[in-house]
Amino acid sequence: MRYYTRRLLHTIFLIFGVSVLSFLFMELAPGEFFDEMRLNPQISPETVVALRHQYGLDKPLAVRYVRWVQSVFKGEFGFSFAYNRPVAPLLMSRARNTLLLTLTATLFAWLIGIPWGVWIAVRKGKWPDHFSTVVVTGLVSVPDLLLALVALLVAMRTGWFPVGGMVSLGSSEWGPAHKVEDVASHLFCPALVLFLGSLPTIIRHARTAMLGVLDSGFVRAAQAHGISSRRLLFRHALPAAAGPLISLVGISVGTLLSASLLVEAIMGWPGIGPLLLEAILARDLYLVVGAVIFSTAFLVAGNLVADALLYRIDPRIRGE
Amino acid sequence: MDNFEILGTLGRFRQILAALGRQRFRVQLVLAGIAITAARLTLPAPYPNEELLVTSNPIGRYGGRLVAALRSEPKTLNPVTAVDVASLEVIRRMTADLIHINRYTHRTEPALAKTWKVSRDGRHYILHLRRGIRFSDGRPFNADDVVFTFQVLLDEKVHSPQRDLLVVGGEPIAARKIDAYTVEFELPQADAAAERIFDSIAILPRHVLQKVYDEEKMDQAWTPGTPSGEVVGLGPFRLKEYNPGQHIILERNPYYWKADRTGNRLPYLDEIAFLFAGSEDAQFARFQAGELDVVSRLSPDNFSLLERKRQARGYKLYDLGPGFQYEFLFFNLNDMSSKGTEPIVREQEWFRKVEFRQAVSAALDREGIVRLVYQGRGAPLWGHVTPANKMWVDAALPRPPRSLDRARQLLKSVGFSWKDDGTLIDSRGEIVQFSIVTNAGNSQREKTATIIQDDLAKLGMRVHVVPLEFRALTDRVFHTFDYEACLLGLVSGDADPNPEMNVWILGGGTHLWNLSQSRASAQWESEIDGLMRRQLTTLDYHQRKKLYDRVQQLVAEDLPLICLVSPNILVGAKENLENFQPANLSDYALWNADQLFFRKASPDQPR
Repeated sequence: MRYYTRRLLHTIFLIFGVSVLSFLFMELAPGEFFDEMRLNPQISPETVVALRHQYGLDKPLAVRYVRWVQSVFKGEFGFSFAYNRPVAPLLMSRARNTLLLTLTATLFAWLIGIPWGVWIAVRKGKWPDHFSTVVVTGLVSVPDLLLALVALLVAMRTGWFPVGGMVSLGSSEWGPAHKVEDVASHLFCPALVLFLGSLPTIIRHARTAMLGVLDSGFVRAAQAHGISSRRLLFRHALPAAAGPLISLVGISVGTLLSASLLVEAIMGWPGIGPLLLEAILARDLYLVVGAVIFSTAFLVAGNLVADALLYRIDPRIRGE
Repeated sequence: MDNFEILGTLGRFRQILAALGRQRFRVQLVLAGIAITAARLTLPAPYPNEELLVTSNPIGRYGGRLVAALRSEPKTLNPVTAVDVASLEVIRRMTADLIHINRYTHRTEPALAKTWKVSRDGRHYILHLRRGIRFSDGRPFNADDVVFTFQVLLDEKVHSPQRDLLVVGGEPIAARKIDAYTVEFELPQADAAAERIFDSIAILPRHVLQKVYDEEKMDQAWTPGTPSGEVVGLGPFRLKEYNPGQHIILERNPYYWKADRTGNRLPYLDEIAFLFAGSEDAQFARFQAGELDVVSRLSPDNFSLLERKRQARGYKLYDLGPGFQYEFLFFNLNDMSSKGTEPIVREQEWFRKVEFRQAVSAALDREGIVRLVYQGRGAPLWGHVTPANKMWVDAALPRPPRSLDRARQLLKSVGFSWKDDGTLIDSRGEIVQFSIVTNAGNSQREKTATIIQDDLAKLGMRVHVVPLEFRALTDRVFHTFDYEACLLGLVSGDADPNPEMNVWILGGGTHLWNLSQSRASAQWESEIDGLMRRQLTTLDYHQRKKLYDRVQQLVAEDLPLICLVSPNILVGAKENLENFQPANLSDYALWNADQLFFRKASPDQPR
């Protein structure tokens, strides 16, 4: 229990620190939301001043931060200047889409990456291992940006998949099966890009973790006792290799989320990514801070899950 | 079978085909009739005493969904607070104004006000409203809605950006109900373009918004997520569905107050869907992929790419010529004494010399910019009024060709000289070098800045191009004044000069080159200020034109803004979209959305 309490306190401090830094960075960035209005000859400077006052932009940073913290306790997470409404509902409608994309890609990456890594660890030095090294190196060296652009180009040229969006026009009037099929067709390209982006890391980690265990003394001793290689692999080696892989869960959730923000913005997936990008460019302060806090919470949640699993399976951690 | 027999057989065959064709045509006619009747049955018949506006457009057919795109998501559906282009594009399809500016002719025309009278002193407007017409929820419209709208917009607590349009000479206009269908507007002083201020002022439904206004929550009303039945207007369409981050769908307003010559209530389209595409390139990709029916404000590069495949893909492209946007270069003439930025203060000594600015202007290859940056799809500019504005452009404005010799003479006349290696130096021997800032990501501006850099290098000036992120750029132009020269563009929202007042009067919020001043730094500046204020209250068009021509001459001579080019408005639409009449004034493609309809697509036409 003390372990979980300590982790929770860490998390709260982390989120507090991230929120302070986000505020500071947004303050340091030149320009502010209402500057664009100044380029409109039909809007007077007095109106801009009045709007700045209305949204509290003329107040010192500390005052704005305290007000924002108060709004967090009300569940609003600040007020978006652009959308003229609280940040939380804006983010919630997008967060679902980001989670759908990220979790789909993560699920497939793990379902394929772990067995692949284990398989090539068992066949170390043979052709599957060499072939996989080529594939993994190739995928690692291709940036997500390029993968996204290629996927977009293929979708546009072939017409096999929709170019951007998450649902088709008029899909609200379709039956459930048709709706699922529609979302799946829209999800395919961005999820594939994220999947290909995260797959090599998982394969490499799985291979390395498995090799570490297969080379260890207890496995060799077990082999000498005549335990079948299948039993050895699934009953003894895999649980022993699980520790480093579970640690990877937390990290990969974070990296996948940051990659997904980029992929969403390029491929028109209506998640947090395009909203955050637009908010940063427009200096929509509270929306940016809210989106950053959401990403941090997501990352921390991934790590917490990983830590909890490690706590359950690794007696050394329980002993600390 | 001889030749005659063959011909005879062919003739009979043709007769049979023609008969079959006629029969098929009759069947089609009957089916079309049934479809139109069915569509009419779903629309309310004219109410007694309903004063519909009858349009003169070619008769259309009901049905279909038009798909367009927005570069960003609409932030609000509230006409009182909206400022972003995407929100306004959607709101204008759902709302209506009293007097409307026809985007094609640039002239005012009746809308919710069927007629109006102006007093001799130009201060009193009496508007007669259409009787018997209804909002999109079926509730009647009358003078109370008009008075309520102006009350909301003029309320300082609401902070509506449109309030500034309704303030004349520092005082707000006043709206007073005379009877249920008559409203009087009183202006604090005569305004030459008073009729035009009613354009785009969306009339609000009092029965829906009075409570919201009383609770002082007007600025939070009508977000895109508001349930569709609660967003009510007098426009041709009403809200049907909003999907965050993806699209918004509008459906036909069955109570719309316009009809065609045969009495068909407009609009013809069942729905308009706006996809949130994200960028011009994304819009282009989706149009090319056939997902969009209309695309507007295309870049010249993408327009050229589309041109190659237009026949195969079944769309038409429209180059409407220059619009109302003018691109210009300007120097920082702000008072920098309190800012302590030494290098800029020194360089301002050059920038303040009109001969220096004239030399820069003379050295710039405007035709080259049009050719290289806009692929010939633009017009070179020597003044700030573009050729699109036929009512106000000064056709007599000199258009001197590029002349490096004249530029050198001008520089020499104010003490500049050249080192042996051709570098330009001022009278103190300082090398003439400065930076031009512009917004990064706007490829046309970045390319234009590079051409300017190259042109000025021929005069021995060392120019650095600094693309900046847009907010960082506006921060420098409006707050820190930490820049030397800047390349920007403005779009006139109307053909009339009045919306541009803030650009030209002293202390105006968009008086870009010198925002710090309220007193004129030169005689020409105070003359422009005086001319703009006089034209505002001069009611005779010809006199106003003379005053505004003089403004254009002063701008072209003294060059607070060195105008460069006006990009053409480039638009594309599916071939089977009828009544499509894109305009060079915003909103370009969909200003007559109520009259658009799809011709029945032939089997080989994509739809």
